[in-house]
Amino acid sequence: MGRFGDSRVSPSLSPQVVSWSRSCAPPALGAHRDLHTTPVCFKTRAARVRVGKGDKPVTYEQAHAPHYIAHRKGWLSLHTGNLDGEAGAAERTVEDVFLRKFLYGTFPGCLANEVVLKRRANLLVICLVVLQNLAPSKLYFLIGYSETLLSHFYKCPVRLEVQTVPTKVIYKYL
Amino acid sequence: MVAVSGPLLAVAGYWALLSRCGGRARAAAAAYSSVPAVSSRGGKQKEASTRRTSRPSQLIRSHAPPRTERMAVDQDWSSVYPTAAAFKPASVPLPIRMGYPVKRGVPLPKEGNLELIKIPNFLHLTPPAIKKHCAALKDFCTEWPSALDSDEKCEQHFPIEVETVDYVSAGTSIRNPKARVVTLRVKLSNLNLDDHAKKKLIKLVGERYCKDTDMLTITTDRCPLRRQNYDYGIHLLTVLYHESWKTEMWESEKTEKDMEEYIWENSCSQKNALDTLLRIKASENASNVTKEELLASEVVKNYRNSVVALKNEGETENNMSQYKESVKKLLNIQALP
Repeated sequence: MGRFGDSRVSPSLSPQVVSWSRSCAPPALGAHRDLHTTPVCFKTRAARVRVGKGDKPVTYEQAHAPHYIAHRKGWLSLHTGNLDGEAGAAERTVEDVFLRKFLYGTFPGCLANEVVLKRRANLLVICLVVLQNLAPSKLYFLIGYSETLLSHFYKCPVRLEVQTVPTKVIYKYL
Repeated sequence: MVAVSGPLLAVAGYWALLSRCGGRARAAAAAYSSVPAVSSRGGKQKEASTRRTSRPSQLIRSHAPPRTERMAVDQDWSSVYPTAAAFKPASVPLPIRMGYPVKRGVPLPKEGNLELIKIPNFLHLTPPAIKKHCAALKDFCTEWPSALDSDEKCEQHFPIEVETVDYVSAGTSIRNPKARVVTLRVKLSNLNLDDHAKKKLIKLVGERYCKDTDMLTITTDRCPLRRQNYDYGIHLLTVLYHESWKTEMWESEKTEKDMEEYIWENSCSQKNALDTLLRIKASENASNVTKEELLASEVVKNYRNSVVALKNEGETENNMSQYKESVKKLLNIQALP
């Protein structure tokens, strides 16, 4: 009847004794309410691929942790919302999140890398790197479908610029 | 080739086989460096079926090489990149590498390189392309009026400058609340003001007048639209002009403290100087000289000029020495250095 995660196993007490111990709790009767803690884990885990046995292929984007942004990595989304004195950062971010989910679902298993979003005034340019899994006709259909649907959804011109690669470009193995 | 290709069609070696079929000599050994069949969206990518397993070998066709291999050295680059576009490795015939290299390695090649796609490029803005833009825009331009060939003429004909700012940002909305601010600038010398009107106007506008450039700057942003702010600014200018020409009754109560510059006539300095001179003359028992004669004399005029200069312009070397000379002459003390 030990409570899970508890380092100490309390003896099974009858209900009357337990309720009495809760009210005035003399330590001798052994009904404790402890806080279980592990040693604190100080590691950041954000956007990092942990090192493995050397068989995990990893792209350039995945291999670099967020503190390498602006040093070894660029930004995946370019717009003016984050500049000083400019508005609209939150709206652009929400749009970005939706677009990435949408494209991840529209091109299932075909995206070789992250989607790059560029905004030029009203125009939204989506740059994809796609694996050569699909037939060209299907790929063209998906591109046209995404462009039309997204431009109707966001009421702005949307352009997809697609590049195809045979396999994912592997930076290193972790 | 048909007998061999069946059992050997593993997915990894598939594209490498295709490259050999296509007749391009390329070592397809290393896993990530072999990217033979990269094509952009406009490239000719022929593929039989979508299934990754069991492709009938008869339907496999070779891939077209990227466009870069067929580009002439003197081609028209503005037709390759007519507008701003993402980096297309199959259209840019440069052996570019980008990325932080692994140890004892080189940066990643351009095929499928996300870093090259992320950054904005200016491949569409080469000098010949810009020349073409200018030539196309020339038809829509009109000549600058030849009569306005200097700044002074512009100022003479158009004394009021109106400044507005338009803001462009990336996003679906063109609205920016900072765009409603309107600034009007005018030189007071271009306005028809007499002495009293100019002083009154300067007192009315306060901070908005700059003495060094003689420029009145009115900035309006209290209305929600730019047109409204412009109209309000013009209205303010009109009202200021007309009000400064009027003289109110209470303006006669202007004291010495309100004066913008020092006037020697009727000041205590004049009184003191005249008193002193009269007393000197009386003690010397000279003939009775009148105030007007004293005022008209050279020494008093010198003294007046130096005092006015000191008060209005502040203390400079020149002013102080001038004052010293004039006092010496006034009190007739030549002996001191």
